[in-house]
Amino acid sequence: MMKSYTQISGEIGELSKLPFWKKTDIVDLAYVGYGLFIVTLVVISYILGSFNLLPKDPQDINLDLMIAPPGTAGHLLGTDFMGRDILSRLIVGIQAYFLPGLLAVFIALFFGTVLGVLAGYRGGRFETAITYFTNLVDSFPRLVLILLVIAAFKPNIYYIMIVVGLTNVPVVSSHIKGKIQFLKQKNFVEAGVSLGLPTGTIILKHILWHNCRSLLIIQATIGMAEAILMETSLSYLGFGVQEPTPSWGNMVQAGANYFMQGKFWLSTAPALSILFTILGFHLLGDGLNNILEGKRGK
Amino acid sequence: MTTGPLLKIEDLRTYFYSRSKQAFIRSVDGVSLKIKRGETLGIVGESGSGKSITALSVMGLISAGPGVISGKIGFKSARMQKNLLQDLDEYVSLAIKDGKIMQLSKDFAGWEKNSERIMGRVRGKEIAMIFQNPKSSLNPFVPIGKQITEAIQLHTSIKNEQKAKERAIAWLDRVKIDSPRLRFENYPYGLSGGMCQRAMIAMALACEPSLLIADEPTTGLDATIQSKIVELLAELKSELGVTTMLISHDISIISRLSDSVAVMYGGTVVEYGPARAILAADFASKHPYTTALLASIPSERNIREKGYLQAIEGDVLDTINIPPGCRFYGRCNRVTAGIRENCAFKEPDLREIAPGHKVRCWLYFD
Amino acid sequence: MLSRELMITALLLLGVSFVVFIILYLSPGDPFSVLLEGQMSTTEARSGLREVLGVPKTWHAQYLSWLTGMLQGNFGTSIRTGLPVLKEVLRVGLNTLVLTIGSMLVTLALAVPIALYSAVRGTNSISWPLTMFSYVVSALPVFWLGYIVIYFFTHKLGLFPLVFGFSSSVQKFGWLYQLLPIFVLGIGNGTISEVIRYLRDEMGRVMAEDYIRTARAKGASVWKHAFKEGFLIPVTEIIASKIPFILGGAVIVEQVFNWPGMGRMAWQAAQDRDYPVIMGIAIISAVLVRLGSLFQSVVYVAVNPRASKE
Repeated sequence: MMKSYTQISGEIGELSKLPFWKKTDIVDLAYVGYGLFIVTLVVISYILGSFNLLPKDPQDINLDLMIAPPGTAGHLLGTDFMGRDILSRLIVGIQAYFLPGLLAVFIALFFGTVLGVLAGYRGGRFETAITYFTNLVDSFPRLVLILLVIAAFKPNIYYIMIVVGLTNVPVVSSHIKGKIQFLKQKNFVEAGVSLGLPTGTIILKHILWHNCRSLLIIQATIGMAEAILMETSLSYLGFGVQEPTPSWGNMVQAGANYFMQGKFWLSTAPALSILFTILGFHLLGDGLNNILEGKRGK
Repeated sequence: MTTGPLLKIEDLRTYFYSRSKQAFIRSVDGVSLKIKRGETLGIVGESGSGKSITALSVMGLISAGPGVISGKIGFKSARMQKNLLQDLDEYVSLAIKDGKIMQLSKDFAGWEKNSERIMGRVRGKEIAMIFQNPKSSLNPFVPIGKQITEAIQLHTSIKNEQKAKERAIAWLDRVKIDSPRLRFENYPYGLSGGMCQRAMIAMALACEPSLLIADEPTTGLDATIQSKIVELLAELKSELGVTTMLISHDISIISRLSDSVAVMYGGTVVEYGPARAILAADFASKHPYTTALLASIPSERNIREKGYLQAIEGDVLDTINIPPGCRFYGRCNRVTAGIRENCAFKEPDLREIAPGHKVRCWLYFD
Repeated sequence: MLSRELMITALLLLGVSFVVFIILYLSPGDPFSVLLEGQMSTTEARSGLREVLGVPKTWHAQYLSWLTGMLQGNFGTSIRTGLPVLKEVLRVGLNTLVLTIGSMLVTLALAVPIALYSAVRGTNSISWPLTMFSYVVSALPVFWLGYIVIYFFTHKLGLFPLVFGFSSSVQKFGWLYQLLPIFVLGIGNGTISEVIRYLRDEMGRVMAEDYIRTARAKGASVWKHAFKEGFLIPVTEIIASKIPFILGGAVIVEQVFNWPGMGRMAWQAAQDRDYPVIMGIAIISAVLVRLGSLFQSVVYVAVNPRASKE
């Protein structure tokens, strides 16, 4: 294939002088753009759902208008088998994973950071212990572990998200630990200590805030994507939110029979929502990773 | 058929591209060299002068873009005669402004296919290359013996496994590796750097190539091992008389092994001639860079004469922002008022100042 | 190196058992006692002991008793069916194993060509859309994919009856139908974009190594030299690490296709609060994961001449 190279005439400048959009790969910008778009949609929908600002009442049963295809009067995405508006139910469905997801992310980041700092700063036994826990947690298929928790406790979404969060703790901690070891290697920490900075400041301000925040943001996107996947899978299997409360997962499940009859939209609308939302978080994480953690120019 | 140089490089240009600076890196910027049959040409220069890239260009091993963009590499061995960059121009189009290449388009797919067609029969068989860092240049997952027999079975008429093994062991012996039969089974990680380099030399020469390219063969090895490898190369040179292109920034090994020397700076050849002329102690008829290079060798004589180590002032040429005029101008300590204007704005050509001795310097133009 | 791996595996499995124990022990309603009783009654039945040994009281005694029971192959009995857990789980576990291995092969069959192509050719008009597509595929809800595939095969191709199940499809395409869940899980397990990225990066890294340059210089086959470090090791490594994900996906796929495997059994058990069964499945899954990891270590040691000396 042909490849063209152009040399700019005049003063050959340094990368730092180029404007932001020329420096970064357009693909990564597109990823981040799409991801932010999705995040915005989710947040807006959450707010709408919380205040009940919906096109129609999601619980409004309308037996005259059952399984109406998308585009039917006032129902942008059609209605389900009880005549309820699908679009409104989709918006409300976000409630099912939004806060729980944030909980999972918070737990993962908080404990992950604490452990990561311990392992990175103190090393030695802490590090071995964390490696052990990482491998331990990774030994379970997450869904199976959650089913175990469900069997043992109630199928409470918050309990479940705590488990999801905890299972992500080792990943976060190993990234933080790695970053700290890297900084240590660069005598970054030594410099701080020799300047007389208190340990707390070194850790909080210099290490975490300045050096780790992109890492944490990226882990947050990964965590959220996973939480959504878990919640939807569980409610699909019947363990999460129960009818008549909508969740994307249980909506797909409810639409299964109708799918086989050729009435796709009952299952497909929530399925596509899951797809595009998870995709958004994935791409956001990847795009940010490439931009912030620096993929060298090709 | 057997007259004429074995390798003749004419006006080779190999460029790379810096995306961050949106400019070309002119690593090899119009290099012409030739190597006669049986001769050892030593190419010397600082890091960044383009000497390794020249060798890799000859072998067709440049993978980053844009790579080799123009030139001719005539190769005439007993078995074949070819321009290794044949039809290259079909795949490259240049836009030139003020003598500088401003835009370049290259059809990589076409060029690579074309290059493979030619080089496929050359690499390993006609031209063999050895590299620096011998430990990392050998496959860590395969015993060294097998790496040598692989080459033998590919490029010689010996296809039988057992016979190839015998030949490999004979060569391991020839490069002075002890207990060659046992070492045959060793992995690179179990061998010292010096032994790995010997093994690489054996691997290269076992196929009896017409040309051997040695790219910094002693760099990265311990000082004592370095001299042993140089001795080995000298011995093999007198035994086999294989034509060699030797690349190094180390003048001592260049002087020990070379018949002719080419001095490179900033992607061009600045001086070329018989070794004794170039490396002679006096500095008449030498490029200022060559003189400076020789003066900077930590040799007894230099230190006795000057009392301190002489470094060359200034930094290595930035091959992106190449200034007009002579590339060495900023660091040259022999510029005179009369030629200053030329040095600053016009690049001199390579000019013959004595039979077979060429210099690229305004000092030698009348 | 291998003996160290075995020891680590044993320690990890011990940790696994402890985690499972804690979850069950802390759960309200004291399921652990139920479990132990189930375990003990089998022991009694086996050894013919008439005396009621009594359930141990302290938590460490309970843990020990349970663990020793398990090590003897006694995982207790299902609350729902009364059948011995281990035997039942292993019986259906085989089906899940088939599903898991099959889908891994499918994932590889898709990921490997894309990864290798991208490693060699870089980003171009072919590799980029494929990579983009793999991102989308990785975000697909696997259950929905299952519906699409079933619909397609039953309605459009009219090949199978709407009754799905392992042994009930005796049409001439019956065997083909059994491939569907493997296919669906292989595509929809959500790991494909990561697998592609990992394989591509590893192969790319190896291609840039010095020894590959030497291989090129001597006219040898680059693929042959890059194979071990650039393909074999990364493939076993990424597959071993993705086994938990695939097992998780199997739970869903088995439900969609009514595939009689461990996943479907786990789902059933969670609904029924059948602690022994779900516990058994959790442990067996962890064992499978660790076996996969062990296998990967074996391959690594076999290939790497330095590894056995570590």
